[in-house]
Amino acid sequence: MSNQDFPVVQGRTLIEALILCLLAITVGLCLNFTTVYNAFTGRLVVAGEVAKDIAPADTVPDGTIASPALDPFPVPLEEIDDLLAEGALLIDARSAEDFIAGHLAGAISLPLGQAEQMLSDFSTSVSLDSPLILYCSGYGCPDSHKVGILLIQKGYTDVLVYEGGYPEWRDAGRPIVGGTE
Amino acid sequence: MNRFKSVAYHVSRLSLAAIFIYAGVIKATDVVAFAGQVANYQLLPYAWNFVVAAALPYVEILCGLLLLLNRKVRPSLLVLLFLNSVFIVALASVMMRGFDIDCGCFNPDSNTSTPPIAAIMRDFVFVLLILTGWFFKPASVGNESD
Repeated sequence: MSNQDFPVVQGRTLIEALILCLLAITVGLCLNFTTVYNAFTGRLVVAGEVAKDIAPADTVPDGTIASPALDPFPVPLEEIDDLLAEGALLIDARSAEDFIAGHLAGAISLPLGQAEQMLSDFSTSVSLDSPLILYCSGYGCPDSHKVGILLIQKGYTDVLVYEGGYPEWRDAGRPIVGGTE
Repeated sequence: MNRFKSVAYHVSRLSLAAIFIYAGVIKATDVVAFAGQVANYQLLPYAWNFVVAAALPYVEILCGLLLLLNRKVRPSLLVLLFLNSVFIVALASVMMRGFDIDCGCFNPDSNTSTPPIAAIMRDFVFVLLILTGWFFKPASVGNESD
């Protein structure tokens, strides 16, 4: 059986495959430079898209006009420690099951699916001027923004979203705890 | 027999071209959502998922286009073979770690999810197509030296 029947990988084919890969990777990184740069610097903002998603006709459920002020402001990982030292409260917007499986140490659970029902209890125990930091499952996850918008509508004045969320926190080696503590 | 080889080669080449152009384009249109799906594999530091999400769709698109144009077929098939091998290993690691995630193979925003075992089976079909294209490629097609 000859190489004609079962051709092996030739050096030239390998080099061309590598060039092809490098070319495509370069194009992809150039076209998405801002997204990748923002991911590395913790500045990826999806807030505007989420506001459109939650308020499709430029209005929110209570009839007011959606505005940039309605969107929680994003906060990077590097600023979280200072905010926590100043008394900020971490809020996990993921499902209760995800929260029990593992969450940021010190966080409380306010899942998007139950947020509206839980908000009255929440507002009696947390004052409206408390700084709040919401998170969910990382960049592109809208739940923290949506819960943040609900909190702003409820009257909370200092609502932030940590967009890197659980996966970035975990990958940074920050403390994760399980259960409901 | 030569006619069978030629038909098999072109069917596999065009099938792979359609599959990977579609997969690449649909992922390239929503890089952030695709990065979230890559992150679900928990294999990379979080920000590096965005590098993969930014680059991988364009590798798939370029390989698909070259296969469609019948140019640089073997280098394209080699890249796709490597990619599919990586996908299979990544999906196997997801199964071994017991994660219940969508494979993220096609539409990142899809409401339907493909479990890892189904995605692995599909990747093996793609590998079969790649090997068919590799071994049945006529020597004269594409004016290539490979």
